[in-house]
Amino acid sequence: MGQFDAVMSNPASRRNFLKGVGVLGASGVLAACRKNVQASGGGATSSIGPIESEPGLLHVHEWAGYDAKWLYQDYLDAGYEQPKFSFLVNTEGALAKTQAGFEWDVTHPESGYIQDYVNMGAIQPWDTSLIQNFAKLNPVIEASGQIDGKQYEIGLDWGYSAPLIRADMIDPNMDSYEYLFTDDAKGHISWFDTPWILQMAAISQGMDPNHSFEMTESELSDMTAYTIEKGKSNLYNIWVNYQDMWDDVQTGNVWATYAWPDAYVALKDKVDVAYIRPTTGTLAWVEGLVLRSDTQNYQHAHKFADAWASATVGTRLISSWGYGHSNLDISLAKIDPDVVKVFGLDDPEKNLSEPLSYLDRYQAERNAYNRAWNEVKAALG
Amino acid sequence: MSIVQPSEIAAAPKRRRRRGTAKVNLGLISVPMLWLILFFLIPVVLVALYSVGVLTLISYDKYLSLDLWRYFLGNSTYLGGPLGRGLFWKSMKMSLGVSVTCVLLAYPVAYMLALVAGRRKYTLLLVIITPFLTSYLLRVLAWRVLLNPQGVIQEVLRGLGVLNADGNVTWLYNSTFAVYLVLAYAWVPFVALPIFVSLESLDLQMLEASSDLGASRWTTFRKVTLPMSMPGVIAAFVFVFIPTIGEYVTPQIVGGKGGYLFGNVIQSSFAASFDWQLGSAMSVFLLVTVAILLAIFGRYLNVRTVAE
Repeated sequence: MGQFDAVMSNPASRRNFLKGVGVLGASGVLAACRKNVQASGGGATSSIGPIESEPGLLHVHEWAGYDAKWLYQDYLDAGYEQPKFSFLVNTEGALAKTQAGFEWDVTHPESGYIQDYVNMGAIQPWDTSLIQNFAKLNPVIEASGQIDGKQYEIGLDWGYSAPLIRADMIDPNMDSYEYLFTDDAKGHISWFDTPWILQMAAISQGMDPNHSFEMTESELSDMTAYTIEKGKSNLYNIWVNYQDMWDDVQTGNVWATYAWPDAYVALKDKVDVAYIRPTTGTLAWVEGLVLRSDTQNYQHAHKFADAWASATVGTRLISSWGYGHSNLDISLAKIDPDVVKVFGLDDPEKNLSEPLSYLDRYQAERNAYNRAWNEVKAALG
Repeated sequence: MSIVQPSEIAAAPKRRRRRGTAKVNLGLISVPMLWLILFFLIPVVLVALYSVGVLTLISYDKYLSLDLWRYFLGNSTYLGGPLGRGLFWKSMKMSLGVSVTCVLLAYPVAYMLALVAGRRKYTLLLVIITPFLTSYLLRVLAWRVLLNPQGVIQEVLRGLGVLNADGNVTWLYNSTFAVYLVLAYAWVPFVALPIFVSLESLDLQMLEASSDLGASRWTTFRKVTLPMSMPGVIAAFVFVFIPTIGEYVTPQIVGGKGGYLFGNVIQSSFAASFDWQLGSAMSVFLLVTVAILLAIFGRYLNVRTVAE
């Protein structure tokens, strides 16, 4: 008797065998469904079941503080269950946890990391037809969330990375990233802990901002040397906690710092600060929601993203947190005119497009930048 | 039919007892051994595998490659330059300085507690370690309040006219000195404890004998007390030296641009740069260095003497 016969003649084993066949079959069906889901970036939803058939408890892997209910109030108002939140410290950590098998339905990376998630096979494209607010979102931002024409990220919050200066301490008319390196602010310059400082050094030296994302080894080496030289003579500190940086600007320890616009919103009524968006090109970042490739809450995730994408959330996000929002229908009347000006909200599409802004993107040589940046920090002491 | 010897009859319960003791010992040791294997040995092996690319995390990690080792060992910023110039050596010097300072500061305190304070020694010991019942992070953050340019120390100096109104003592904060100071403060009690234990277990009759033989107090200290307390001193030194080599929290909080240490590069490689291969290579290097140092210290450290 062959092994197959032995299995089939034993009732218990046969049950197991049939169960196995069933599981395999079901897996095949699920895999096929998943294939359809992955192909649904264009809007096909036929393979997705009704929302009622989903588990419903959405697991959102988010930044601390982003569990505030007003950010997804429409989702709650529609009667869906309060999502379960876990918190990420940085996107690199979230990627590592994901790679290690950590489960979530939706997470919130910078657009520069979407390709990493795609390479892992961890995310699938959104079906934008299920997100009513999608049509109102800034197309420039949404383009940054696409890979091969598929919308892997719904770009939501954004900001610039540019110098914030004490206008009473240093000439506010220098239209450049040079503020972060200038001898005029000797001992009063602060950098954020990011390799973007190297890119800013390059742009301040006249490099095309687009090229700053893909510097050659020799260019990177030159910028490392330049940054070390300027850091040794002019740097006050490298900030990690933004509130420490705010304090240092307020007390006058720092005259020029790498900052996001939220720092301007927080400090503009306290001290004489100016937020400098160099007209030669300002680096900008976008964050948004990505969808887990094997999520069981496909429809819930879309409803959640739709709530986040609303104009109400956008208006509040800008006016209270000082971050940009991709919804173009936000009410400018409810936002401080200074903030409208700093964000360029009067024409966000133009202001976020080249040559005024250069959005964050995937860098295949990111490790080279990170290592160069680590060398800068190590050499400053 | 064999004849049972009387000696075997007497030995049988002993063997059973020995077997029983062995089982108890095995039971006792198995839990910590399992703990060590799961949470130390396996992670260390995994880190070592990452460092040579046997394990990779992300698409651009290099598979089966020693490139990161070459990069790290050959990079003058970290190690590859003139001896004593790279960041690794800076961390070594910092740890050495902090450890020596801690021992120098803690020894008189431990001496006073063990040999002078009498019945109040445990109360005083408790007083000394009381601040250390609070969070390490809080204590380091408190130093920022003291050291920063608008902090207590510099404001007092301005008030006394030592500094002018806009003047700053730049080396006091965001500097290597700040890291050195805070680390020394943080580790002094941990150094005092083993020295205290070592001094407390001294045979006081030895000191009396030295005195009876005409030795001065200084000579007695130099020739009797100090040598006999050396195991405690070395243990204390090791307690500080080993963990401070990889320190990254204190430099991050009070070190500013000048306080960056080797531990910070490792932390940054793992947490911020997503460069696990480089971080792993550096971690393994640090681990091996520490192991070698520990072996060297171990030759001079009689653990049993300290324990007694």
